[in-house]
Amino acid sequence: MAAPKIVDARGLSCPQPVLIASDEMDALGSGRMEVLTDCGASPENIGRAAKAKGWKLVSSAEENGTVRLVLEK
Amino acid sequence: MKLPFGLGAKKAAAAKPKGHDASHARGVMAFAHTAEVIRAEAALKAAGFPVRVMGPPPDMRTGCDMVVEFELMREPSARRVLAEARLAPLAVAPVRAGMLEPVSLFQSVDFGQWLMVRAANMKVTVDKETRVIVNVSGGGCPDVPALAELMVGRTLEDAPAPLERGQTLCSYALELAFREAQRLLPLDAGSAS
Repeated sequence: MAAPKIVDARGLSCPQPVLIASDEMDALGSGRMEVLTDCGASPENIGRAAKAKGWKLVSSAEENGTVRLVLEK
Repeated sequence: MKLPFGLGAKKAAAAKPKGHDASHARGVMAFAHTAEVIRAEAALKAAGFPVRVMGPPPDMRTGCDMVVEFELMREPSARRVLAEARLAPLAVAPVRAGMLEPVSLFQSVDFGQWLMVRAANMKVTVDKETRVIVNVSGGGCPDVPALAELMVGRTLEDAPAPLERGQTLCSYALELAFREAQRLLPLDAGSAS
């Protein structure tokens, strides 16, 4: 399996993590992507944007203030 | 220092600036719930009153964080309009210094491909080319996640107006941001071009 695309959106405030993740989803088209964010509202918003684009939120885990979202399509 | 609405400052009052005499004095009405504020604004506007929704001064905080600003001299007729709509303000007070900025004030940020429009505590971000809503955030009201779910992924034409589905302060602010985004990104300048 190919390594997932890593999108590091740490240090960015809402809505930038969503926009960057959204851009990457469009660029990839399909596959597996991991998004890192430390913006409180972003995980939920990224999950919503992913759903709207036909991607699936596989998992979401928080560690030391950073949330790692795994997306697949 | 320029105060909001030019009221409340002794210097400003002493100078009696044009347009701020008693006949132009503004007042605010507080209501019990956001839904009542929204209905009051709609009823008064429909009756021809120049009103707007804004944040209240700290000492006028009620259960709802918004008030309706109106022409103080027209209070009796405004109350009649409200009574016909089965609405009664909890309190009425003159506008003075310390009032919060009106929630109708917008802030927009251009992110290149996207435009974010903020109204009060709510933000909506739209793809400028496709006019698709890519993000809805802010607030903290219970209906925001549901509203975001309905709006994200849809165009400014297809998305439901937030006030059709919600009745909180957040949905009101989101409605304002949504309308402003529609104004800033008209259909003929977006995907239809």
